[in-house]
Amino acid sequence: MERPALLVENLEKYFPPAVTGWRALLHLLPRLTVPALRGVSFEVKRGDVLALVGANGAGKSTLLRILTTLLIPTRGRAEVWGFDVAREPAKVRLHLGYHTGADDCFYARLSAQENLLLFATLNNLPRAEAAQRIAELSDLLGLGSLLDRQVRTLSTGNIHRLGLARALLHRPSVLLLDEPTRSLDPLAAAEFRRFLQHRIVGELNTTVVFASHTLAEVEQLASRIAVLDQGRLVICAAPARVKATAGADSLEQALEVLTQRAPGHAS
Amino acid sequence: MSAFRSLWSTLRKLAALFRRDLGVARSYRVAFVLELFQALFGVAGFYFLARFIESPQLERALPQPGGYFSFALVGIAFFDYLSVSLTTFDDGLQQARQNGTLENLLVTQTPLSVILIGSSLYPFVLMSLRTAVYLGWGAALFGFPLGQANWLGAILVLAASILAFVGLGILSASYLLLFKRGNPVNWAFVGLSSVLGGMLYPVSVLPKWLQSLARLVPVTYALQAMRAALLGHATLRELWPPLAALLIFAVVLLPVSFAIFWWALRRTKITGTLTHF
Repeated sequence: MERPALLVENLEKYFPPAVTGWRALLHLLPRLTVPALRGVSFEVKRGDVLALVGANGAGKSTLLRILTTLLIPTRGRAEVWGFDVAREPAKVRLHLGYHTGADDCFYARLSAQENLLLFATLNNLPRAEAAQRIAELSDLLGLGSLLDRQVRTLSTGNIHRLGLARALLHRPSVLLLDEPTRSLDPLAAAEFRRFLQHRIVGELNTTVVFASHTLAEVEQLASRIAVLDQGRLVICAAPARVKATAGADSLEQALEVLTQRAPGHAS
Repeated sequence: MSAFRSLWSTLRKLAALFRRDLGVARSYRVAFVLELFQALFGVAGFYFLARFIESPQLERALPQPGGYFSFALVGIAFFDYLSVSLTTFDDGLQQARQNGTLENLLVTQTPLSVILIGSSLYPFVLMSLRTAVYLGWGAALFGFPLGQANWLGAILVLAASILAFVGLGILSASYLLLFKRGNPVNWAFVGLSSVLGGMLYPVSVLPKWLQSLARLVPVTYALQAMRAALLGHATLRELWPPLAALLIFAVVLLPVSFAIFWWALRRTKITGTLTHF
């Protein structure tokens, strides 16, 4: 049987409490007592698109950061393409592309091309292959005329496309996106979604996991939705199934019911 | 991946990080040119200070010929290597945090240790260029005796000094990873070294107990050996004792600092504070 692209089993993550001022000196090695993820389990098949949905603080970004090896889980395990994120982080990163909605994550005074070449080298691409890959991606993402420009002169939408190009440079099998359309205008966001759907998933068959607060985007892109609430996984299913489980007509209504935030619900 | 391919790949990455910093610096050309002239003012200031305080008694107290100007110029120029070693890893980390590239760098197939070492190359090359400019201005305008220096010895001393100092720099970056600001490692080493290391006066003028403490600071050996190579025309055999001391510092500090850095990095991945600043 084919291994899943992503496997998450009883994943728990606890952080230390926020301590400031002189008290911080008394807590040099603080205990991990603040829960961010509490026993989350799910699988993502190869070529699937999973959306992580939930309120602020639900644990979406924490989960993505564990999968990208930027965080070490407290308990449980997670695998990307069969490799354990805590024990084999270098192998995990071979298969992973990561892009956030932030627009300040490049060297602003270098050109787009110089930025991409740097990240290609850091991802072990030989020079010739890097140049070829940058040319391919700039065709795919419409970056051709922008490559020689300093990043500080690019619009937010173009910086996003550049971020996506960076994440795809080393042909990752799994693409992780944290609020990818957060700072895009509606037209640029729609273009970004079309590109993701047709090129990245449709043509390249890349597995995509993305966190988003935009439910229309979630419905348009995701084959399955994982609803997180206060660190717990409420449901992980196809959008229609999520709505049916909640007895709701819309995804928004389903989320309110499933996370017990529906108007009139006594918490 | 074979050991050779792995080494080649690491060297390519170091070169790419150097090109990145050079590219950023090239976009601020005026600042670089101004710095060369700033060095001229610094050298001129020390020349006139040296003329003001120089006396036969002071000349006799110096370990090498060439006068106080040459003694102080070597001290200042090479003390800066310690400062750069201590701050360059901190700066690399802090800049990556502030410009938002740290997470993107960390999800590449390059360990953070390679990223930090690569990020330190440009500051070291710039520092070397600045030192050459200091000495060049000194020789061209103020009689700094460059002609008879043991250049091979000076290069070996510089390499051994950088290896010894880099361990301290990585310790400093480990502290920054964990505690973000107010780096006492940096403060303690720069402060102690400036008092004990013999930057502006020979270590022999210190009280005996401070002279004993000075032996525990790598910059003492670095400045002693560098002055001996540049001003005292010392042979490699004569340079060996301070060189050996610097290498001992490097052999002890490098593995210890990398182990502490690895632990600090792991700790921040547990506490979720890796990208905080």
